[in-house]
Amino acid sequence: MSSSELAEAQVESGGAEDGAVRLDHVTHRYGAVTAVGPVDLTVPTGEFLVLVGASGCGKSTLLRLIAGFERPSEGTVQVSGTDPRPGDTAGVVFQTPRLFPWRTVRGNLDLALRYAGVERARWPERRAELLARVGLEGTEARRVWEISGGQQQRVAIARALAADNPLLLLDEPFAALDALTRERLQEDVRRMAAQAGRTTVFVTHSAEEAVFLGSRIVVLTRSPGTVALDLPITLPRGEVDAEELRGSPEFGELRAEVAHAVKSAAAA
Amino acid sequence: MSLSLRPEKADPLPAAVAPRPARSSSALRRSALPLGSLVLFLFLWQLLAVSGTWSETLVPPPVKVWRAFIDVSTTHDGVRGYNGTYLIEHLGISLRRIAFGAGIGIAAGVVFGLLMGTVGWVRSLFEPWITFLRTLPPLAYFSLLIIWLGINEEPKITLLAVAAFPPVAVSTTTAVAAVPKALTEAARALGASRWDVVRDVVVPSALPETLTGVRLAVGVAYSSLVAAELVNGLPGIGGMVKDAANYNNTPVVLVGIIAIGISGLIIDGLLLRLERAVVPWRGRT
Repeated sequence: MSSSELAEAQVESGGAEDGAVRLDHVTHRYGAVTAVGPVDLTVPTGEFLVLVGASGCGKSTLLRLIAGFERPSEGTVQVSGTDPRPGDTAGVVFQTPRLFPWRTVRGNLDLALRYAGVERARWPERRAELLARVGLEGTEARRVWEISGGQQQRVAIARALAADNPLLLLDEPFAALDALTRERLQEDVRRMAAQAGRTTVFVTHSAEEAVFLGSRIVVLTRSPGTVALDLPITLPRGEVDAEELRGSPEFGELRAEVAHAVKSAAAA
Repeated sequence: MSLSLRPEKADPLPAAVAPRPARSSSALRRSALPLGSLVLFLFLWQLLAVSGTWSETLVPPPVKVWRAFIDVSTTHDGVRGYNGTYLIEHLGISLRRIAFGAGIGIAAGVVFGLLMGTVGWVRSLFEPWITFLRTLPPLAYFSLLIIWLGINEEPKITLLAVAAFPPVAVSTTTAVAAVPKALTEAARALGASRWDVVRDVVVPSALPETLTGVRLAVGVAYSSLVAAELVNGLPGIGGMVKDAANYNNTPVVLVGIIAIGISGLIIDGLLLRLERAVVPWRGRT
C-alpha cells in the first residue's frame, strides 16, 4: 500500500494508528496574527514527513501543535487518535539540544527514562542501547558542555527516543551544525527512522535535507502557512549509500522541484 | 610554496614550556600584590601613628594592636583572653550565631524565592515586604527585637536571620523567573510533571544565582554581627568590639575588626569554592 493510500485508509479509520497524525482544518493565531492555517494533513504510521518552507511560514508552529505545546485556535490535532500532550504522544528534538547542563550525558538520559516510566533496573541497558543508536558509546560520564555541538544534538535525539514514543518530531535539529556534522546526522536519522518504522515529522528550510530524509514532503506557503505542495518521495529507503543517493539524477531533480516550490510558495 | 603536514623545525623553546613563565609571573602577581599592599598599609599606618597627628588612643601603632592580639588570644597576668574568653572563642561563638541566624534566613530565602519565582500571586504579595525589609538597617529593628525577644540569643539570631533573608529571596526569585523556557519545555516534552520541572529544572537552573545570593547573605549577616551583639553580646566578637569601644580600648577594637574581616574573607573564599564545585556549569551552555 502506498503512503497516500495508507493515509486515506487511516483517515477513514480516524487516524487512530500508533503515531499517526491528523490535522483537521487547523489554524493557529498569536493574538491578531495568523501564524498557520488552515491546514488539513494526515501522516500515516511509519511515514517520514518533512515540512519545508521559508522562515516564518509556520512550520515550527505546526510542529508545536502536533507536540501538544499549544492548542490550535481552530480545528483539531490528533496523534494516535487522541489530543496530543507533551511527553505523552511524541519525542521532540529542538533546534538547539536543550540538554540540562547540570547533568552528564548519563544524567540527561536517566531523567528521560524516569519520566518515561522505565523501571530503574532497566536504565543501564536502555541507556547503552540509546547511546549505541546515536553512536555515542562511552560518553556516559561526560558533562554535556564538554562534548561537541553535534554530539549534544545526538544526545538530544537519544533522549527524545527514550520514551519509545511512536512519533518523533524534529524542529530544524541540524540548523546550527556545520555541514559535515549535519550530513552525518542526517544519515543517522534516516537510518534510524528506516529501522524503527516510527512516524517522523521533520521541519527544515533546506530542500536538500528534505529530499534526503523524507518519504513525503509538504511545502508550506508563506505566513499564514498552508499546504502548497504535497510530494511523495520515491527514492530508495533503508540501507543506501548516502553519497550515491545525493549524487543521483533523481535526487537532483527532486531537490530542484522542492527548492522551486519553496521559492514559489514564499513569493506567492 | 607547497603545503606540508610535516612538523615545523623545532623551536629552541618548546611551546609546552613557553607559557610557564607567564603562569609563574601570574601566580607571583596574585600573591605579591596583596602582600605588597598589606606592607604598604602597615607602613602608612605606622607613619600616621608616629606622626602624632592623632593620639595613640585614637590611632594606636600596629605593634600595639599586635600586643592586644596576643593578649586577647592568651592568658596574661592571670586574665584569660578578653573578659575571660579567648579571641578564637569569641569568634567561634559569633560564627555559631551567624551559622544559625544566616542559615535560617538563607533557608527561608530559598523557599520564598522558589515560591515567588514560580507562583505569580505569591510574588505580588511578598515582594514589596521583602524590598521594605531589605532597605531597613539592622539597627533599626534590633531595638524592637530586644523588646519582643529579650536580651539573650533569640534577638541576635533573629536579627542575623532577618538580615540574611532578603538577598537570598531576591536572587532566588530572579533566578527562578529567569529559568530558560527552552529547558522547562524540553522537560515537559520528555513527560515531566509540574513538580518534576520544579525539582529537576527550576531548582538546578536557579542554583548558581541562589548561591550568589547565599554569599551576599553571609556578607550582610557578617556586617550585621556587631549590631546583633550590641546588647549582651559577650562572649562574641561583635560584643568584644562594642565592649572595648566603651573603654576606648582601640587596639582590641581593631583586633576584633581585623578578626571579623579575615574570617569573613576566609568564609567567602570557602563559599566561592563551594559554588565552583556545586555549579561547574555556570556560564556554560
